[in-house]
Amino acid sequence: MTLPPVLRLVVRNFRASLDTITLLVMFGQPAFLIVILGTMFNQIIPSVGASGSYVAFLVPGMIASQMITGAVLAGRIFWLDRRWSMVEQIFSGPFRRYEYLAALLLTTLLFALVGVGIMALVALPLAGLPTLSVVELLVILATIGLGATFFGALLIALGGKIRSANLYFTIQSLLQYFLIFVSTVYYPVTSSTPPALKAVVYANPLTYAVNTVRDAFTHHFGVGDLTAGIVLGSLATVTFFLAVWSFKGLEFGPVQ
Amino acid sequence: MSRMTNGEVIASARDLGFAYRPDRFAVRHLSFALHRGEVFGLLGRNGAGKTTTVRLLTTLLTPTEGGGSLFGRELARCGRAERARLGVVLQSESLDFVSVEQNLRLYAFLWGVGREAAKARAEEMLALFELGESRHRKPWALSGGERRRFQVARELMHDMELLFLDEPTVGLDALTRSRILDYLAQRARRGLSIVFTTHILHEADLLCHRIGVMREGHLITVGSPAEIKRTYRGPRTVEAEFERVLTEAERSALEARLREAGDGLEITALQDDLIVFQARNAEALVAEVARWATALGLEFERIAVREATLEEAFVRIVSEGGRTPLQVAGEDP
Repeated sequence: MTLPPVLRLVVRNFRASLDTITLLVMFGQPAFLIVILGTMFNQIIPSVGASGSYVAFLVPGMIASQMITGAVLAGRIFWLDRRWSMVEQIFSGPFRRYEYLAALLLTTLLFALVGVGIMALVALPLAGLPTLSVVELLVILATIGLGATFFGALLIALGGKIRSANLYFTIQSLLQYFLIFVSTVYYPVTSSTPPALKAVVYANPLTYAVNTVRDAFTHHFGVGDLTAGIVLGSLATVTFFLAVWSFKGLEFGPVQ
Repeated sequence: MSRMTNGEVIASARDLGFAYRPDRFAVRHLSFALHRGEVFGLLGRNGAGKTTTVRLLTTLLTPTEGGGSLFGRELARCGRAERARLGVVLQSESLDFVSVEQNLRLYAFLWGVGREAAKARAEEMLALFELGESRHRKPWALSGGERRRFQVARELMHDMELLFLDEPTVGLDALTRSRILDYLAQRARRGLSIVFTTHILHEADLLCHRIGVMREGHLITVGSPAEIKRTYRGPRTVEAEFERVLTEAERSALEARLREAGDGLEITALQDDLIVFQARNAEALVAEVARWATALGLEFERIAVREATLEEAFVRIVSEGGRTPLQVAGEDP
């Protein structure tokens, strides 16, 4: 039986474009942070809001940040496909452009979910088994899905327009670290957070995704999270169309 | 149309053009038809528009002028169904980050070839393209020639009706080139149509039923290699070597006789027992030299008119001014 084109491309993305070392670094780094940051800060931070322990606070943040990991990996696949003319090769075959784009976004989502699974497993001995209702689990998955679409589409849109590997990977790294550090992945926003920093943190879509996932973990899911979901969904729609626009004008030929 | 092909047109261009910018056409006013089973060579200098033409006919680019067809469907409307019948070896290297063998099998998977069929085809291609010893290496670690072989081998992992080869033999040694050309000729005999771009004109001469020569984005001429050579051969070269050294008087008499009868004559060597000259009426002059020698009782060691090469014809075509397509008689646009 032949798989549908989008799934064939997803399988190819997983099998062909990423080496073991990259995967180990991409998924190993956040897992390592959960263990080290979780253990070390747990000793000096007695409690963080509704989460309780620092580890319990950190784990949902790291889980939510996997949407960035997924987006970075898919963006990397797309860039390498451009660099090594595989985009052109695939487009000259029995595939439509939107199928390649859909496969990249699906790959982003699947990578993010793999990351979520790894983070959950790593966190298990430190934070214990979370008690999540079906609704809370669905909220987490939907948030990861929307976030992965937003960040994945953003990087794909950028990757379709930039012709320099140096520029693309610099932007990607900056975006990755800026988004994670200026969000609530590692620390909460409190009344004593400087207003300027607070404004930047709340302008970061990752913050809303992290807060929603965290609220689901602590059973504090509310209207604010619903609003955050709507905003994230709207942003994901915008970046999706940006990616489509970038794909429509995609130029073939050498990129460096 | 060659006897090797049937009359079915499987791809065509009709006044086809593409501009990367409004004022910068890469290809313009391109018209030709490709028949099933035909090997069509696209020749031209660097930047002549060959790769853009391949991209237009493989639907990678949308024409900005004119149109064309692929398997009977208008180019602008072609999609997955038509591309599924194509094979494309791009000029630029394309690869996935797995071993050579995995690349072949993964590419077959992308094209929907079953696992067992892909495995068997991969073995066939690894053997045919002498990549067996490199099967576990990553493609980027191969030599330039091996990478090119790998590109062609990978494309042949799936079935197709029309194969586009954009400079497939760049960097290959003569033996490998000949082996690949033999294989392609064999596939063409079994009905595969091929569009082939190359700078190695001898290859085009051997493989192609028809050739189109491009210059500055325009198709200047289309015809069989023999027709192209005949039409654009220019003055031909005659070499005659006599059984003995000619005297000064004999050389002068021969030169005078040739100048009288020659059309566009240029004598490049006349010394000892040898004469080399170029003329548009080379065959007539050979007869003239033969008559002159017979009258003197002179015999030849050898006398020959050197056949025009495709390279000579090509140089004349691309170096001539003007952009008016010079359609070879008997060829359809």
